[in-house]
Amino acid sequence: MVVLRAEMCPGLDEDLVKDLRAADIKTVEDLVSSDTEEVAQRCSVSYKALFAIRRVLLAQHTAFPVSGADLYEELLSSTAILSSGSPSLDKLLDSGFYTGEITELSGGPGSGKSQVCFGVAVHISLHLKQSVIFIDTTGGLTAKRLLQMLQTETSNREEQMEALQRIHVFQLFDVFSLLDCLYSLRAGRLQQASVGGGGGSVKAVIVDSVSAVISPLLGAKHNEGMSLMIQVAGVLKTMAKDFNVAAVVTNHVTRGDGGEVQPGLGASWSHIPRTRVLMEKLDRTSVVSHSSLRSATLIKSSRQVTHSPARHGAQIAGKRCTKKC
Amino acid sequence: MRPVSSLSLSPSVKVRLVSAGFRFTSDLRGLKPLQLSKEASLSQPEALEVLQTVRRVVGGDEGGGGASASLTALELLQKEEEELRSIVTFSSQLDAALGGGLPVGKTIEICGAPGVGKTQLCLQLAVDVQVPSCFGGVGGQMVYIDTEGSFLLQRVVDIATAGVRHCSLLAEDDEQRVAMETFTVETILSNMFLVRCHDYVELLAELHLLPGFLSAHPRVRLLVIDSVAFVFRRLFDDLSQRTRLLNDLAQQLIAMATRHKMAVVITNQMTTRLRGGQSQLVPALGESWGHAPAIRLLLHWVGPQRMAAIFKSPAHMDSTIQYQITSEGFRDANQCEQPQSKRPRRHTNQPAASQRVTSC
Repeated sequence: MVVLRAEMCPGLDEDLVKDLRAADIKTVEDLVSSDTEEVAQRCSVSYKALFAIRRVLLAQHTAFPVSGADLYEELLSSTAILSSGSPSLDKLLDSGFYTGEITELSGGPGSGKSQVCFGVAVHISLHLKQSVIFIDTTGGLTAKRLLQMLQTETSNREEQMEALQRIHVFQLFDVFSLLDCLYSLRAGRLQQASVGGGGGSVKAVIVDSVSAVISPLLGAKHNEGMSLMIQVAGVLKTMAKDFNVAAVVTNHVTRGDGGEVQPGLGASWSHIPRTRVLMEKLDRTSVVSHSSLRSATLIKSSRQVTHSPARHGAQIAGKRCTKKC
Repeated sequence: MRPVSSLSLSPSVKVRLVSAGFRFTSDLRGLKPLQLSKEASLSQPEALEVLQTVRRVVGGDEGGGGASASLTALELLQKEEEELRSIVTFSSQLDAALGGGLPVGKTIEICGAPGVGKTQLCLQLAVDVQVPSCFGGVGGQMVYIDTEGSFLLQRVVDIATAGVRHCSLLAEDDEQRVAMETFTVETILSNMFLVRCHDYVELLAELHLLPGFLSAHPRVRLLVIDSVAFVFRRLFDDLSQRTRLLNDLAQQLIAMATRHKMAVVITNQMTTRLRGGQSQLVPALGESWGHAPAIRLLLHWVGPQRMAAIFKSPAHMDSTIQYQITSEGFRDANQCEQPQSKRPRRHTNQPAASQRVTSC
């Protein structure tokens, strides 16, 4: 429902808008679906003028079909695959995170989701020399950890500092700030970030985690939660498509009816990411596990066979150098 | 150009705007509050609020300044090194495991069975946060929210006295001696703000009022809530509501921790989980609560020895250290009569560990 305004197209001036309003035609949809002859008579305007206006408005507000071949060409030229920094995870994801799509990592606390996100950010900023936008909603990001991961990859201090400069961090803790941030990124800050960030365009937008800001709103009393969740999904998807970035989100897990672990945020969210990975600690017998191994299972993918668990050894490296004096 | 439904306004206002045909922020351009209130049947103040929100949001998008400022990771690193110094505890092993001390700007959860020392650690941290910066401390004030009634003043006095004595023995140069004049038991007690909450409504109300208090007291560097589990485990019929409230609480706490540059310490109790005929002791408040704190410490016993294990942290390796509770507070475990072995401590060797512990 788009409201009719005077400057929308040539020929549509204030008086005409007022007349149309009086004839109970307030939005573009109303005008387009009404009988042009009848409206022309009622508003005492020429049929031709009204028909021309109608055509211009239709052209402005309809969607255009694109041929499959063109779409495929565009896809081939614009999609990039970003490695996650871990070869076995890459194999699970069919060589990495694809741009133009949303990939979800879900898992219980301590299963390694944030670590994989850090790893992706470090890999992209250091090896691919491109920028990354990291939206942290849980407070789990410390620059020291990023530096530690960089130090295991390269010992050149210059390179480390440059890589750190290419990672842009947003610390937000509620859904409206997240929406503000995503919309402003889409409206143009994405380009700004790439220009100011020492070269390299933004290749990935990581949101860790999206469930922390949305799950307080889903439930009995809140009728807005679903709508906000779908809006976040919508803006992430359009951003991923329009700017050719890979969107990576993390999610928590809940227990299903049978007691098995499943990703959170419900069935509506499950349609949104193109690829979903479930991560778990291998040693579930005690709270304090001494193994740093985690397992990642592909539970939704449009390219790979799902439910094939891959051993994903997330050895947290580089701890030997952090004794703080 | 944003959909109106993504703005931070009350749902009823948004519904009325959308039904009047204003779906996007561009539709609201150039409207006066009077016009808007007539067309969308809103009250005048509501219409004014809508237009102000739209102006702020659109201005942010175009101006590039934006509602949320971003940092590069390099700037964040510098900020961490300068402003967010860790709270040094009196247990060197715990400091080492945490990479220098309790990190400021994060939420930390301490869980453990009754009597293992959670409240003792909280009281110790209440004194540690006030250690002057020339001794390597943070020199800040703290807020203690007590829900269980376990805050014992005499115990705090004992810990504070021991802390002051420890620091005065360390004082070497003039700066430290001058600092010691302001680091006495009286000043320590006067820098602790104590709140007593009896149920979850009082706790949530207190957290709602806390940002105002923190703006008035910018030196606060630690918030302790002892304990969150106690108020959320009683009288809660609707578990899904509890989960929602806890998630909301978690986000408020992390927002406060980041904005006011303080560490938030939460204590949690333990519960038993039955899985396939086997029972296991796990932290209470459910699995979704596990995502809320950034760092989780589990205090437990291995035989007669108390151990602290870090089992969730995005920045530190999972590790376990030994500690003890003495009359002076939370300290490293005494290594007195044990042979100096080069073998690294592994607690998979549990029988060996319990044999090795001697009573000191």
